[in-house]
Amino acid sequence: MKYFVESGLGIITAFCLYTFFSKVSFSLSQLFNFFSLVVIYFALTRGEIHGAFMGTVSGLIQDSFSLGVFGVSGLAKTIIGYIAGFISHRINVIPFIRNFFFIVIMISGETALSIFLYNFISSEYVSEIRPLIFFQPLSTAFLGSFIFLLLRKIKKSRS
Amino acid sequence: MSLFLKNKKKPAILFFLIFFHLILISIQVPLGYEKNYFEKAIFSIFSPVQHGITFFFQKIGNLWDSYFYLWEVQRQNKQWKEEIFLLRQENMVLKKSLNKLENSENIQEFISTIHNSFLIAQVIGVDARNINRSINIDKGSLDGLEKDMIVLDKKGNLVGRIIEPISLKEARVQLITDNNSGVSVISEKTKARGVLAGDGKGNCFLKYIIATEQVDRGEELLTSGFDRIFPSEIKVGTIVSVKPNVSLFQDIKVKPHFEFSHLDLVVVISGDSGISFFKGK
Repeated sequence: MKYFVESGLGIITAFCLYTFFSKVSFSLSQLFNFFSLVVIYFALTRGEIHGAFMGTVSGLIQDSFSLGVFGVSGLAKTIIGYIAGFISHRINVIPFIRNFFFIVIMISGETALSIFLYNFISSEYVSEIRPLIFFQPLSTAFLGSFIFLLLRKIKKSRS
Repeated sequence: MSLFLKNKKKPAILFFLIFFHLILISIQVPLGYEKNYFEKAIFSIFSPVQHGITFFFQKIGNLWDSYFYLWEVQRQNKQWKEEIFLLRQENMVLKKSLNKLENSENIQEFISTIHNSFLIAQVIGVDARNINRSINIDKGSLDGLEKDMIVLDKKGNLVGRIIEPISLKEARVQLITDNNSGVSVISEKTKARGVLAGDGKGNCFLKYIIATEQVDRGEELLTSGFDRIFPSEIKVGTIVSVKPNVSLFQDIKVKPHFEFSHLDLVVVISGDSGISFFKGK
């Protein structure tokens, strides 16, 4: 039950941040991928299955709030959630710098996978890519590494 | 055997999830641009959350504006007073001109119908994947919104049309900058007719204008009404470049009039009377 509540809260937080940032500035919403951060966080802390499920849920939410093919973001995030959990249980990605590069690689992978899937299903996506999306892995990783560090410190202080 | 199953459990779950997504993607093939029930359900569940978040932050912003940021109010009041004065003058002149054509009762009835046909909505969210494709607004089926109703900005420029999913108090608007959007347009000066499609990056293209047809840079584009969705004579955008193409048609780039960064309030034209207002212009 605790896991469900935590996962739900994670998704709601990502959704709130996405809405808030898109209200503040439309460009900011393109610069940070909060849904992917939640997926990676749960994959790191709970493993590949939890990461994959979080990817499915958050990806489908993202899909339902955008035009285009429903299920593509869900599929990309599910795969990335699983891979993130799988790798993080074999390689230590907890230190800040490693964590940063890990998130960069995961989000870049997700972007590449989304582009590939979109291009495979319909050719529309590649033509509409905005330059800002290429900064998304870096900016999200930067923000994500700090948030993960903060969450780890909070957990440590509690225990 | 149990160890084998344990080892295969995780990949099996992953394959199940991938299969589930592939089914979701596949069922859209016969539906086309129609949204499936699953997508509609997720939108209906989460759009009130988006509505609530926007409302909350707007209230905080209003608190700041109402109690702390008052130095701006005086300047704004002065500006609005001048604007109201000019609009009243304009209104009076227009009413007088109308009086010459119709009796005052008809005019009052016409004005009240027009007032009821214009629904002001607030933008509560942008497209999660590409901001130039769609927006979400805070009016839905309970407010009388239906598919294909047209959406304008504050200045009366075309923004897009209502598409599915439409929840009780929220709806999605397909922007004219979306590359799947299509609007039948006509150029104001040379009367060239074509289809306006978005490029997904904030601009549009005017399609199907043959190479021999004359269109000028800087020319205004208006809706033609031939698509039977958008009423005629709504301002759409300006032609910014005209280039010859190896094909039969020209490459014409159009800058839409609506400004995405200032898109906080929009107007939805609901009902036939609103559309007939445009047609009667």
